[in-house]
Amino acid sequence: MRVDVKSEIAGQVWKIAATPGDKLAGDDVIMILESMKMEIPIVAPKAGTLVDLHVAEQDMVAEGQTIATLETD
Amino acid sequence: MSWDDAIEEIKQRRALAKQQGGEAAVASHHEKGRLTIRERVDRLLDHNSFDEIGEGAGVPDYDADGKLKDFQPANFILGFGKINGRDVIVGGEDFTVKGGSPNPAGLRKSVYAEQVALQYKLPLIRLHEGGGGSVGGTSQEKNRRPLGEPVFATSRFVPLAQTLGAVPVATAALGPVAGLPAARLVASHFSVMTENAAVLIAGPQVVKRALGHEMTKEELGGPQVHLRSGAIDNLASDEDDAMAQIARFLSYLPDNAWAFAPDKTPDDTIERCEDALASIVPTNRRQPFQMRKIIELVVDREGEASSFFEMSRKYGPSLITGLARLNGRSVAVIGNDCMYYAGAMTAEAAQKLRRFIDFCNSFHLPVLSFVDEPGFMIGPDSEMAGTIRHGTAAISAVLQSRVPWACVQVLKAFGVAAQAHFGPDAYVLSWPSAASGALPVEGGVAVAFAREIAAADDPAARQKELEDMLAASQSPFPRAEGLSVHEIIDPRETRPKLIAWLERANAAYRRQPATPFMATMRP
Repeated sequence: MRVDVKSEIAGQVWKIAATPGDKLAGDDVIMILESMKMEIPIVAPKAGTLVDLHVAEQDMVAEGQTIATLETD
Repeated sequence: MSWDDAIEEIKQRRALAKQQGGEAAVASHHEKGRLTIRERVDRLLDHNSFDEIGEGAGVPDYDADGKLKDFQPANFILGFGKINGRDVIVGGEDFTVKGGSPNPAGLRKSVYAEQVALQYKLPLIRLHEGGGGSVGGTSQEKNRRPLGEPVFATSRFVPLAQTLGAVPVATAALGPVAGLPAARLVASHFSVMTENAAVLIAGPQVVKRALGHEMTKEELGGPQVHLRSGAIDNLASDEDDAMAQIARFLSYLPDNAWAFAPDKTPDDTIERCEDALASIVPTNRRQPFQMRKIIELVVDREGEASSFFEMSRKYGPSLITGLARLNGRSVAVIGNDCMYYAGAMTAEAAQKLRRFIDFCNSFHLPVLSFVDEPGFMIGPDSEMAGTIRHGTAAISAVLQSRVPWACVQVLKAFGVAAQAHFGPDAYVLSWPSAASGALPVEGGVAVAFAREIAAADDPAARQKELEDMLAASQSPFPRAEGLSVHEIIDPRETRPKLIAWLERANAAYRRQPATPFMATMRP
């Protein structure tokens, strides 16, 4: 099942931590946003394969924005 | 002439009333994955404890000979019952009769629920499902022109509002809830909705006609909307979970505002000092941590689980609010979640806090405050949301508190917003990781020393130098030296320190009689 992973906060993409094709467990870090001087991880909501990343490092992300798509097991 | 026939008719009416909307309506309801109101009441309450009010309320249907043929029950069920041995009052719409839109007897019973709660001073649970007023009206005859309520009648909203200061009110949305039932749903201290529930002011057809939007009930008012809007506190995985959450919520509270919460025998030791607390806050300030883990390591464990019961997680998520126990005594817990904007207080978090503190004061719950506050949220969205006003109102609510407060400063306490975490006469513990000041270092240095930095040979280096100097000035040690905090502690000591405090604070607080909480206007 395709699941959109959304960011719950606004921030800037600081570091991408996974590549499309990676198999992720629930809570594995997909990327780290910088928000209010903190490094906030965005994690996989469930186990699955990372299908797509919709943002790149340095991009600004809005609250609620879809930042990745996961194909869950 | 005996009364046997009439007595027989009483029994008959009671039996007919329990059929609710009839077999077909009940079956159709089950097919949608929902329980009937009588099934819900049965599952919520202790076995056989339901003592119904107004069993005979409803509309009879007579045959040509004047004999009772059928009986449409009042489509609101109401009565007394017990949850884990404690008396409560429970009511709810019967969706199988007119989709819960009230028939006349149903309307009377529904507005009576709050009056019963106020009269008997018992917790009130309402299980909502259904629409409110219909254009067709409550009357069974379509041609009647409604006379309206008497101009001197007391509005049903009077007891609805009064209950919130008098008794714990817990509600659930177990299907679509629209109009007046939605207003009653949210007039509670704790509300929960199931995945398939929707809470609406008005449904899709009315919205389409007035505004042109074509949206389903779920899109307008499903959990993805109302857990975030703050209208509903928690999500239930199914109806049984909704009942379990309501029962759990009530277990922390007294029966009414004139009593203190019952104490439980603790299943945990006073001296439990968790090693994890000493390293859970990263030394690198850019790294976040899980405040919920800290809370769970400190408050009572109950068997395998924590006594911490979180409320309104998705609303104002930078602030954590919930109930817990410490040494068997009920407490309220607040804490910053640095995963959201470093824990900054947003307009929503401020409103959530104000409401939560009023609730704590209403039911005599001591507050444990785990502090990691960088200040009010900054930036254009926060300004437009009026955060400064909502935040100041929250601070007012905190400082008008009458319950005991204990504060554990875990990390940041900056800005005006920090004031919202320290109640009057609070017991203040500081961890070695604590840092306090007017502004966090990162923002403050760039502003206060702008000229000096610009004039330096290596501005970036000079800025870092100044930031390091200032970080040192935010150290908690001088605050302990000057008795600005009570104690600076090894984080592992948090639980026994708080328990020692709570025993004394509760004893002092409970010497006064328990009375309802009143507050005057706030910002």
